[in-house]
Amino acid sequence: MADPADDLVIDAAGVTKSFGSVRALRGVDLTVPAGLLAALLGPNGAGKTTLVRILATLLRQDSGTVRVLGRDVLTHPYAVRSGIGLTGQYAGLDEALTGWDNLMLIGRLGGLGRRAASQRAAELAERFGLAAAVGRSLRTYSGGMRRRLDLAASLMNRPALLILDEPTTGLDPGSRIELWSALRELRESGTTMLLTTQYLEEADRFADAVHVLDHGVIIDAGTPAQLKARTGVQVVDVLLAGQDAAAAVASLRGTVAPADLRLDAASRRLTIRARDGLGTLLAAARLLQADRIDVADISLRQPSLDEAFLALTGASRR
Amino acid sequence: MTQARITGAGPARVAVRPDGLPGLGLLIRDSMLIAGRHLRVLRGNPGRLIYPLLQPVLILVLFVSVLENLASVPGGLYRQFLIPGIMIQNVVLTAPVTGLALVRDADTGLADRFRSLPMPRSAVLTGRSASDAVVFFAQAVVMIGVACLLGFHVRTGLAGIAGIIGVAVGFGTALGITCAWLALIIRDVETAERALYFPFIPLAFVSSAYAPVGRLAGWLQPIARVNPVTSAVAVVRALANGGPLMVPVIHLAAWIAVLAAIPGALAVRRWQSSP
Repeated sequence: MADPADDLVIDAAGVTKSFGSVRALRGVDLTVPAGLLAALLGPNGAGKTTLVRILATLLRQDSGTVRVLGRDVLTHPYAVRSGIGLTGQYAGLDEALTGWDNLMLIGRLGGLGRRAASQRAAELAERFGLAAAVGRSLRTYSGGMRRRLDLAASLMNRPALLILDEPTTGLDPGSRIELWSALRELRESGTTMLLTTQYLEEADRFADAVHVLDHGVIIDAGTPAQLKARTGVQVVDVLLAGQDAAAAVASLRGTVAPADLRLDAASRRLTIRARDGLGTLLAAARLLQADRIDVADISLRQPSLDEAFLALTGASRR
Repeated sequence: MTQARITGAGPARVAVRPDGLPGLGLLIRDSMLIAGRHLRVLRGNPGRLIYPLLQPVLILVLFVSVLENLASVPGGLYRQFLIPGIMIQNVVLTAPVTGLALVRDADTGLADRFRSLPMPRSAVLTGRSASDAVVFFAQAVVMIGVACLLGFHVRTGLAGIAGIIGVAVGFGTALGITCAWLALIIRDVETAERALYFPFIPLAFVSSAYAPVGRLAGWLQPIARVNPVTSAVAVVRALANGGPLMVPVIHLAAWIAVLAAIPGALAVRRWQSSP
């Protein structure tokens, strides 16, 4: 009898974690099936790193159950550690050693014998363009090289689940593209991945599944297309000609819920979530005309990814 | 970076380390790997070994030259009395290095990496202690050598010299583990750098290191008698000058066991719990 839960590489339910009076996680449910590249998306302080640290057995949750690779993180942390690789926000490397010594140390502590470790280290150094640099001390490495070596170190033991905490933060565009191509290759060879990011665009382009974490709860999850379909209602932009933005806002209150209306006073631009599409545009135009508000421009457009994300996280904030 | 393709894990599975669950064998293997890490760092940065070897030599030469003719102790030359004291004092003042190294590592990405690897939790501490034991060993060898040049005489011969080195390594390692626990309680590196030496200055001085306990101020004497430094110095003196060995050895062994085991277990717990 194959239990569907057997295929879940990450299966977390009701996870809470507090630090003193700060409730970092307030009941997180998260499932990641095998073979997927899942993104955990959320603003700073949403609880992404706390969740990642619990999944990687670095922190113990206060309540809730977490199974990683089919094992409970509280009762079988050792088994979990045998199957995961972690690339944290800060490089997990010894600055005083060479790149090669770092790879060997981490590979061997992961359980590889000397020969297997040196074969794997050579393979990864080659793949990540570090073959010429591995003999040097890490102090001579650039930021991008250090990131690549850190990822290579996480892959020394061929983890079934690779966890990456903001892997692209601080990388230049070229390094970012290189990193993503490496992650896609890994997914093709069967590695499941969970990565945190603040960049919606990255999640949109590369992830199979996106989990949006905000204020310690998962507020939405699905494929990027599903998320956009759910939140990505069109937007009406209104550029006011006159100075009286408050009057325009008051005028629109008739059809637009306050939460759907944003005013950027400096540019005198009103942004309205167009829940009825063209209908919202027409209703807004009629109201503004009736109240004799001067409008320089009014238009209907697709939402930006940022707006979809803000709509999601804004909704959870209320 | 376009050459070979990365190979990953294949189907998701828990690949428990082929060498099994963490047992004593694994603890020894992984401790050696961690010790190897620190010794490689020493090889790459030889200053980190050279200065810890030069400093005790400097202190030994200065203290012996200045103090040798100042005091007299019952039953022999003050030099024979003083040098064991200086050797153990050096061990005491070197021990905080273990703790400082550990607390410097504790909040880094590397610590998180270690915590996420399938290695015994205690290997980070035992590995660091093992590499510091190498430093204690090198210091003791150099100090004994210099002491002999200064006229220090070990009556029990080579076995006695080996014993003295063993005392320095064993006592230093146990104190180092205690420092690891204290440093991990303090947690802040810079505070630990300033605070860790405080308990060790009185520990070194309120003992029989420089004067027989009977000649210390009255209120210090009970403290000096139970001080583990007094026990360690007593063993070294007995090995160098002859005299009853059994009682000080038992005292010292008990101290080493207590200082390594209890703070050791507490330090491992503190290490594992990241902030």
